[in-house]
Amino acid sequence: MERRTLIKNGIAVSSALILPSWLKPEIKMAPGSVVRVTGDSPYDITRRAIAEMGGMDKFVSRRDVVMIKPNIGWNRVPEQAGTTNPEVVRALVELAYTAGAKKVIVMDNTLHKAEDAYSRSGIQSAAGKAGAEVRFVDDNRLVAHDFKGKNIQKWPVFKDFLEADKFINAPILKHHGSAGLTVAMKNVFGILGGNRGKLHRDMAVSIADMANGFRQHLIVVDAYRVLMRNGPVGGRLSDVEFKKTVIASTNVMHADVAAAVLFGLDPRELEFLQAGFERKMGEIDPAKIVIRSVTA
Amino acid sequence: MTAEKGKSIQRVRVAAQIFFLILFFFLLFKTGAAPAARFGFSTAFFYIDPLILLASMLAAQKLIPIFLLALVPFLLTFILGRFFCGWACPFGAIHQFFTWLARKTGRRKVAVDHRPLRIKYILLIAFLVASLFGTQLVGWLDPFSFLTRSSAVSVLPGMNFLLQHGLQVGAGDAGIVARVVKPLYEFSRKTVLTGKQRTFTQPLLIGFALVLVLYLNFYRRRFFCNSICPLGAFYGIFARYSLIHLKTTGECKGCNACANHCTYYGSPYQDYLKSECLLCFNCIADCPHSAITVEMTRPAEGSRPAVDVGRRRMFASLGSGLALAAFPAISVFQKSRFHGFIRPPGSVREKDFLKKCIRCGECMQVCPTNAIHPALLQTGMQGIWSPILVPVNGYCEYECNKCTQVCPTKAIGKLAVEEKKKFKIGTAVVNRSLCYTYADGYNCAVCEEHCPVPEKAIRFRSVDVYNFRGKLKKVNQIYVVPDLCIGCGICENVCPRIDSPAIAVGAEEEQRETGE
Repeated sequence: MERRTLIKNGIAVSSALILPSWLKPEIKMAPGSVVRVTGDSPYDITRRAIAEMGGMDKFVSRRDVVMIKPNIGWNRVPEQAGTTNPEVVRALVELAYTAGAKKVIVMDNTLHKAEDAYSRSGIQSAAGKAGAEVRFVDDNRLVAHDFKGKNIQKWPVFKDFLEADKFINAPILKHHGSAGLTVAMKNVFGILGGNRGKLHRDMAVSIADMANGFRQHLIVVDAYRVLMRNGPVGGRLSDVEFKKTVIASTNVMHADVAAAVLFGLDPRELEFLQAGFERKMGEIDPAKIVIRSVTA
Repeated sequence: MTAEKGKSIQRVRVAAQIFFLILFFFLLFKTGAAPAARFGFSTAFFYIDPLILLASMLAAQKLIPIFLLALVPFLLTFILGRFFCGWACPFGAIHQFFTWLARKTGRRKVAVDHRPLRIKYILLIAFLVASLFGTQLVGWLDPFSFLTRSSAVSVLPGMNFLLQHGLQVGAGDAGIVARVVKPLYEFSRKTVLTGKQRTFTQPLLIGFALVLVLYLNFYRRRFFCNSICPLGAFYGIFARYSLIHLKTTGECKGCNACANHCTYYGSPYQDYLKSECLLCFNCIADCPHSAITVEMTRPAEGSRPAVDVGRRRMFASLGSGLALAAFPAISVFQKSRFHGFIRPPGSVREKDFLKKCIRCGECMQVCPTNAIHPALLQTGMQGIWSPILVPVNGYCEYECNKCTQVCPTKAIGKLAVEEKKKFKIGTAVVNRSLCYTYADGYNCAVCEEHCPVPEKAIRFRSVDVYNFRGKLKKVNQIYVVPDLCIGCGICENVCPRIDSPAIAVGAEEEQRETGE
């Protein structure tokens, strides 16, 4: 069978299976475009962003195992904006289940002690209540994944992330001392094991390598509270600003460019975005990206 | 009293022992898992330990109110003798179990000799004399310290390893075994095998000490309790004045069956030693003639049977105590202002710390990041098994104050979380010969990224350097702001340099509590 016919048939069969979605008004999205929703409730703006993207069933098929990877790196409360807002995660878990997911897993390879970070970030209880399996990483489940990058080729990755059918990258937008910013591309570090510190040696290239070498189906950036200084760990409330925004895209680089603009930086000055641009992950010039802003 | 009655008392005694053993480990687990500042009585066993009370008071030369609880078992000793050793001591329960095991396996030499009973008195006197001169070593052998320390450092992490390893091997493959083991493994990961395997600096030595005293039960019944335990010796000194008394009646035929399972190899018939009797009541259960009774009377003058340590040995132990106090105290450690170790946050001044710390290892058990370890000789001879931070193994978690809450003797003073965040236990120093940003001219800021101080005690500045290829390059070079650094050691912990951390915490500018 030719690839084209395979795709055609695939589309035909899957659309027949999810008939109700036919009845919904189709929202036309340019590939790699970005949705930016602003509003008072992190939960509502997340739902709205996914709706603007065309609904979760566009990304999640029935019986899928969905992996949501928030940033749960630190032992921080949501107010300190060191970890993804638990309400954003909750909305994503609920939407994935509504779209027919068999199982939704939420996990991250934390930097602080996992139990502390999971509970204090509020993600464990928020995602757990929504029905997700909140899983801890297990060093016994590390396998080598080939990122086919410039600096990084094979690196140990937790099997759980590779086994899931769909991967939703759900970072928080933060200041980052050495990378400038940490958003979705950097968030991919959380699937890695091994001596991750080594990746900081030429970090911009590593970030692009990792983000480019791992398939992601949906990117949802939490920019509700944004740590403007002393990131990525932060801690001081005076360093946190309310941006009340969620950014969604299917292109990880475009999500990061939009986030950089929101943060108030020129994306062209961020090394890791330059590295991504050189690798043709997407546009670095925000003017060349379709960014649709919505107020919820 | 009939043998049947003796057997039912025995059963009650075993039940009590199991209860206290479970209670001990329940409290120990609770110590490990409880959220910060909610410990309650997790260290209760230390508070009812009159030996710790006495030794701490001798060493610190002052009264520690909470320890006055220890007067309760102490005063009860004047009525019930060494009931605590026989019925309530969790470590004693373990020794009782191994003694029983030795009996079941029939692997014990018959040793009717009372000389080994003296050892514990000699040790007690030596330790207390040393305490008086400020060298506090009683925790090495105090039963609760012994048990807590060896559980925290060796037994629990060791069990975790074996269980995890065993289950993991079973769960690794497909097939029927995996189908059973895998859910078991996954369940255990969520419950008992929490997260990362804990590692310690001296699991072998501390674990070996435990194995040794357990194995000695195969040589003599309850060897530790009878011959080593300084708390047992302390109770023994006063048990001779107790009201409770075992006596043979006219029914006694002199068969000496009561000696069959006596823990100290005596019997109410022959060699009755009240100072050694743990009130296990094995003798009553063994007596075929129901010829032993329990009486509660004031013992007549001159009938206070106890082990005779002997005057010369008393003097010898006194002398040993003086030597024990003096020799470590005149080591160069006392004078040197240099020291390469850091203590947990809230620790009192070093001199007082060594007087107060009983080496129980509660802080090591409670530390969520596995940062606190028993010292060997890093802190001097007096400091063996006292807690130090080993940042390469774990860092002091910014949001945590558990060790400051759990220390039974307040060698680590209580600190609220907000106080702890500002408590400086040391200062980080960049080793420029190793740091990538200096030595190799690479950008790397893992330490800066992890630094928990909101204002960042670790920063970098952009500098033009010639790297090893002779190329001019802008490099973000790391530096520490000493005034902001609290010495938590996360920088040392996460430094990606393999050979040796390129940033390390030392005791420079360390803060110590004054201790009231």
